[in-house]
Amino acid sequence: MNAHSDLVTSLEWPANLNEIPKAVFDDPDLYKMELEKIFYGPEWQVVAHRGEVPEKGDFKRFYIGEMPVLVIHGEDGQVRVFHNACSHRGALVETKNRGSQLEFECPYHRWLFSSTGEMIGCPNSNQFSPGFKKENFGLREIRTDEYCGLVFATLSDDTPDLKEWMGERMLDPLARILGGDGRLRLLGYQKVNYACNWKAYVDNDGYHAPLLHPAFKLLNWQGGRGSQTPTENGHIVFEADLTMPDRVDLLDDPSLIDFKGTDTSNGSLVISTFPITVLTKHLDMLNVRFAFPRDNDHTEVHYAYFRHEDDDEEMARHRLRQASNLLGPSGMISLEDAAIFTRIHHGNISPGNAIFQKGVSDPRQLNFTPAQNDETGNLPRWEYYRKLMGFRRAQS
Amino acid sequence: MSDQVRSDTRLSSVSRDVRDQIADLQADYIAALDSQDMKGWLASFDENNSSYFCRSKENEDEGLEVGYMFDDCHERICDRVKFVDEIWAGTFEEYQTRHFLQPTRCKSLGEDLYSAQTNFTVMYTDDAGITKVLASGCYDDEIVVNGVARLRSRKAVLDTNVVPRYMVYPI
Repeated sequence: MNAHSDLVTSLEWPANLNEIPKAVFDDPDLYKMELEKIFYGPEWQVVAHRGEVPEKGDFKRFYIGEMPVLVIHGEDGQVRVFHNACSHRGALVETKNRGSQLEFECPYHRWLFSSTGEMIGCPNSNQFSPGFKKENFGLREIRTDEYCGLVFATLSDDTPDLKEWMGERMLDPLARILGGDGRLRLLGYQKVNYACNWKAYVDNDGYHAPLLHPAFKLLNWQGGRGSQTPTENGHIVFEADLTMPDRVDLLDDPSLIDFKGTDTSNGSLVISTFPITVLTKHLDMLNVRFAFPRDNDHTEVHYAYFRHEDDDEEMARHRLRQASNLLGPSGMISLEDAAIFTRIHHGNISPGNAIFQKGVSDPRQLNFTPAQNDETGNLPRWEYYRKLMGFRRAQS
Repeated sequence: MSDQVRSDTRLSSVSRDVRDQIADLQADYIAALDSQDMKGWLASFDENNSSYFCRSKENEDEGLEVGYMFDDCHERICDRVKFVDEIWAGTFEEYQTRHFLQPTRCKSLGEDLYSAQTNFTVMYTDDAGITKVLASGCYDDEIVVNGVARLRSRKAVLDTNVVPRYMVYPI
């Protein structure tokens, strides 16, 4: 694979760091390059959480970029990620989204694999090519690592160690989003295919202007103190205290925004890991937004909600009730975010640059300590993207 | 399905009068949603005790309760009207839905309560005039029928496990 977009050579990226050329959202060749350099390149991709595959034999089907993968909790207790392609002729080994079984059979020629990826058997192998050995035909495994049960995979041998890639600053907040110790259980999914480029999705999920959220105002619910911390390699951590209103007149059922706050959060925590994954803990809701690009113009997001293993029944119920109605593609607070993705995608098919403004004191400098609601938090990620893709920046 | 079970749940297993009242309820429900009339939607539910859920069949089959919408009490159904009419007003692009229903099963649960299953397809049309399928699935309902029919509980189960857009309006 050696995808190339003429845009990378023809386009001069603006000298001002707060200006993003809109052409990068609408170029299918560039998208192919992004798949190679970012999704199949030396970055960790979030593919699953152990809470989705808690028992031996449990599996989940997912994607890295456009590549189908299979996450299997093996009979030895290890969670592995494989290409979801038979080692024979390449048919999908599994088509169910989730399930539990200790053997995986490709229906095409009945090749059979174990939950740890080894080949168990293949009929008529006495007629196969000379030197055929079963042990050479296991499912093709992908390099993985875990943090608090969150399963990362990378197709590159050059990807740094997971903790180094995340950076020290992210480890503690990421653990807190994952319930402190990662002992989570799945509550269920909301899945949406947004008609927008993956960069438009990730640029506007996680960060979003509070102006967009009338719910905050109507609830007399202000953001409180908060911070955002971008890293040089494209991750961002958002943390905020939530000042809860004394009473909620707006809702007939104010339990929607109860904050039992038993554990690890000061209210609101959002982490965006490069390139495309967003994790949130808002009030008592634990949410990982597993995402992948379907094509240049579509981004599929699987909002997965979790409870902690130690939750009593009341807490588990509370998280479930909050998960479904508060955030997500029809959530009371977040519907407007979902509404903006497609709108931005279509608006980006126009000349010129998208210009970030709030918090930009010097357009020629990146700011790694933006204020809570500044737009500047996204700019280090754009600069990292620009360098990865090889766009040259104008001098003036 | 055995002949016995089928005959017990066929539409003709309940009286024509009950069927007519349920048909009116279903028609009022979709007419309200397709004209973005959230108060009309609310009026379809039993105000003493009712619930509305909208979730994927994938979750439903696995016993995972998370939904796109999870209104497990009448207060939450009232709040959903406020989400659309007040909280979200002016923040989303309008889209036109058209619901198409086909009742498949109905059965008496005793007294004035009935269970009913009704297939649905919901089309949506955006500002550009392009029409696509929003979701296909089945309503699993409990309906109170006493002169007028009202939803005691409605579960909209979506075969469409990945919806093509965010959803403002209930299904």
